[in-house]
Amino acid sequence: MQRILIVEDSATMRALLVSALDEMPTPVKITETESGFEALRVLPRQRFDLILTDINMADINGLELVSFVKSNETYRSIPLVIVSTEGSDRDRDKGLSLGADAYLVKPFDPEELRQIAQDLLSRAPRSNEG
Amino acid sequence: MSEAPTPNETGGWETLAREAACRLESGGDLSELQQFLTFRLDGAFYAVPVERVREIVRIRPITPVPRLPAEVLGVISLRGEIVEVVDLRRRLGLEPTEPARRSRIIVVHGGDGSIAGLLVDGVTEVLSVDESDLRAASGDAVESLCVRGDEFVSLLDLNRVLEIDGNQ
Amino acid sequence: MAARKKTRTRKARVVSKADKEFISEAEEILERMRLDLADLSDQRAAGEEVDPELVNRLFRSAHSLKGLANLFGFDPVQNLAHHLEDVLDGLRLGRVLLSVAVVDVVDRTASLFAKLLSAVGDTAAIEAMSEAVQALIAEIELAKQPVETQAEEFATLDIEASLLRALTEYEEHRLRENLRRGRNILLVDATFEIISFEEGLSELTTAIREIGEVLSTLPAPGESSKAQICFSLLVASDLTSTEVDARFEFPDTTVRSVAAARNPAPAAAGKSVSTSVSEPIATVDPPDGAAPATSNDAPQIQPPDPREFESLKSISDTVRVDIRKLDELMNLVGELVIQRSALGDLVSRLHGDPATARIGSDFGKVHKALDGKLRELQSAVLEVRMVPLRQVFEKVSRVVRRLRVELEKDVRLELCGADTELDKLIVEELIDPLMHIVRNALDHGIESPNERSEKGKDPQGCIKIDAFQRGNHVVIAVSDDGRGIDRERLRAKAEAKGVIEPGDVLTDKENLDLIFAPGVSTRDEVTEISGRGVGMDVVRHNLAPLGGVVDVDSEPGQGTTISMTLPITLAIIRSVLVAVADQRFAIPLNTVQETLSIDPEQIQRSEDREILNHRGDALLLLRLSDAFGLAGLSRDEKSFVVVLGMGDSRIGLIVDRLEGQQDTVIKPIQGPIPTIRGIAGATELGDQYPVLVLDVSALLDDALHRKEAA
Repeated sequence: MQRILIVEDSATMRALLVSALDEMPTPVKITETESGFEALRVLPRQRFDLILTDINMADINGLELVSFVKSNETYRSIPLVIVSTEGSDRDRDKGLSLGADAYLVKPFDPEELRQIAQDLLSRAPRSNEG
Repeated sequence: MSEAPTPNETGGWETLAREAACRLESGGDLSELQQFLTFRLDGAFYAVPVERVREIVRIRPITPVPRLPAEVLGVISLRGEIVEVVDLRRRLGLEPTEPARRSRIIVVHGGDGSIAGLLVDGVTEVLSVDESDLRAASGDAVESLCVRGDEFVSLLDLNRVLEIDGNQ
Repeated sequence: MAARKKTRTRKARVVSKADKEFISEAEEILERMRLDLADLSDQRAAGEEVDPELVNRLFRSAHSLKGLANLFGFDPVQNLAHHLEDVLDGLRLGRVLLSVAVVDVVDRTASLFAKLLSAVGDTAAIEAMSEAVQALIAEIELAKQPVETQAEEFATLDIEASLLRALTEYEEHRLRENLRRGRNILLVDATFEIISFEEGLSELTTAIREIGEVLSTLPAPGESSKAQICFSLLVASDLTSTEVDARFEFPDTTVRSVAAARNPAPAAAGKSVSTSVSEPIATVDPPDGAAPATSNDAPQIQPPDPREFESLKSISDTVRVDIRKLDELMNLVGELVIQRSALGDLVSRLHGDPATARIGSDFGKVHKALDGKLRELQSAVLEVRMVPLRQVFEKVSRVVRRLRVELEKDVRLELCGADTELDKLIVEELIDPLMHIVRNALDHGIESPNERSEKGKDPQGCIKIDAFQRGNHVVIAVSDDGRGIDRERLRAKAEAKGVIEPGDVLTDKENLDLIFAPGVSTRDEVTEISGRGVGMDVVRHNLAPLGGVVDVDSEPGQGTTISMTLPITLAIIRSVLVAVADQRFAIPLNTVQETLSIDPEQIQRSEDREILNHRGDALLLLRLSDAFGLAGLSRDEKSFVVVLGMGDSRIGLIVDRLEGQQDTVIKPIQGPIPTIRGIAGATELGDQYPVLVLDVSALLDDALHRKEAA
């Protein structure tokens, strides 16, 4: 099963993301983290096939997380989607220029999220279980 | 299965509660649902109604108070308010432990306009529960059981939990 | 692939049960916004640098409001929320000038929002307000003064592009702002083990926050090992990199300068946020001839004041001090007082021995002089804590000015005694009750101009706040010349709530006092002004811990006066701190007659009681460790006796240690078991641990009662 990492400080938004992804045609395994720091701790422990991250978080922001992932040999190939509130086009452009693969505006359309996730997962190499 | 996250500290609860309300937006017909804050206690899941939760705080210094039963650990200061903290493990007859990093104090509204703190092992999520998911329970402070996947979540009757005999 | 931006029209799909929840949530957000706005105004008025987090929080509140508004699907609400969020986003990102006009219009938007909320479900009422909404939106747009930002201001920074690229727009703004203020910009690089980086990083961040602002935190893979992680923290500080480096003792951490401090650019007029706003304080009259009902408190868009920066200087002869620092100072004085008592003991011992009597007498004189100076120091420190009511009055004026427009009432506010001083702590606790009383007067007390005219009253109502000192107390009386309290209705309400029985005979005062009974003064209908569910009982309840009293007086048709009497100093009760085992307790000083140090052999026994020969009298002793079941010192160690007295009863309380005196504010304990015999409440001493305050009368009672039984 492919694994998705969610980085989002709002519990509800996490729940919404999870419930959208639960209905993916192919089941996925989801790890939820509530902050950038938690994501940094979780990343080395498992292989992920997709990362969804918020931008505005208390410890490190989503752009910094993108920068970290995309500048790191080990994680560079993991597709990454920014899911953030509409507002700053500059943040969006920055995220994409840092290497994010997609940018989704909250409140998102679950179907659109599944589409994007499906697309990116099918590109990603299958990870070995566990 | 997802790993259990905790709501972030600063303003987390408000956002959480507010956004929990936003779920109605995407769900549409969730009017039958009740929301509960779930938390871990000795390996099992418990929950209290969201509307009784005032805030969730990290462990902070607890001053023991003499002449109180062991279920009440003592008092904490919450921005100037002095609040008793109930060791929920002890209150439910579970093995007491030292608070850990994930431990939280859930500050709940008591029945009488006052507030009280509940020490739990860690807060997990907000659960929307449909009446049909509920099973009767026979515990002292557990009102009913809720099926969540292959696990049960025990929904607590807060009034019973906070009924502690002071003359011990 | 990039996601498409979606705009969807959302129609309200919420059930009416949920409506209520949303409304109350939105009200909470609005209330918080108002508090934040008030703080913002204060900071501006004081000429301080506005706390960026305050503006950020306002933006987040507006953002949440918009989220809620989208759920309602009412266009006016949505539209207004959108503009509100937009202007706050501009402020937060430094794109819009933080002017008086903006603050004012945001404040009024919050008010209109509250009105809209109260009309949710009533489409006609919402429609009726749409004109006002449009007008306000136009005002918002008008009040926005763009701030120009230089195109590329970070080019000169000695900083990796990767770091700059990961800054959010908000972080960029903070960087720009700090550069403009001429602060040092530093880069702190730190390496941690990945499994435990959070603790180390949070220590580092905490340390940095003491000397400046963390602008961003960029993680990077560890250079030498995969098990490590690096963080680059962009920091703004008044200290140089060398100074910071010298201060920090963190392993694997380097500090370097990215941009050195320079003198702040002469504040380009549009950029400073430190306009000082001084409002006349004495009376707030509506402009002559203006009909207040329609009075447009239109924002006067003030041209940026070229002297803005100088206003910073003008306050330089006053220092703002964290109240906790004053507490520390007070504690030190308290400790000195304890030391002084020890000196006093020495003096009397010297006196008592003929061989040292002379030196004892000299010593006595020095001790007396020291004593006098200590008292002066004590009252000087207390005086520093005293603040005039002026600031509170300013807040009240603001609220009244806004409310009288919303409520379409013609009211003038008279304020007397703004210079009356109270302890800072009491003032803080006072604001909410006072606001509540004033809102009540405005909302329920003062009649509409028409009603007043019909009754032959001056169409313009009057609310008067009078503050004055009376002995050791300060009285704050709020009077209105409105319709007065309807005793019959009050009675009926109290009967309905079960507070009194239908047949009960009440004096007029008892009848009026019903207003303080729980639930009685709470209005059935929710008005935006007085809020929901908060009544006079809450006011009384809030003042009780301060030792404050609320009284009400009212003449039907003539008006109502509500007066709060607060002790000037009693809110801070001087307490003696004692310790048993590891735990500290506070004993109110007014119950302490003296403290003694005793050797175990001085303690005598009578049956199972311990007594002390105290100047010829038998003083019954009580060990606090026994009373509270604590593990105290063993009985053959030297200990201390606190002689407690109330009325004619006295006992000696044995404790392990005396830990000085402190000013304490006694708070009630909340929880499943709120009353605990022997404990009056708890107090905070600044170290997070609440300290329990002893209920001396209960302890005396218990000890003496047992004596009779024995």
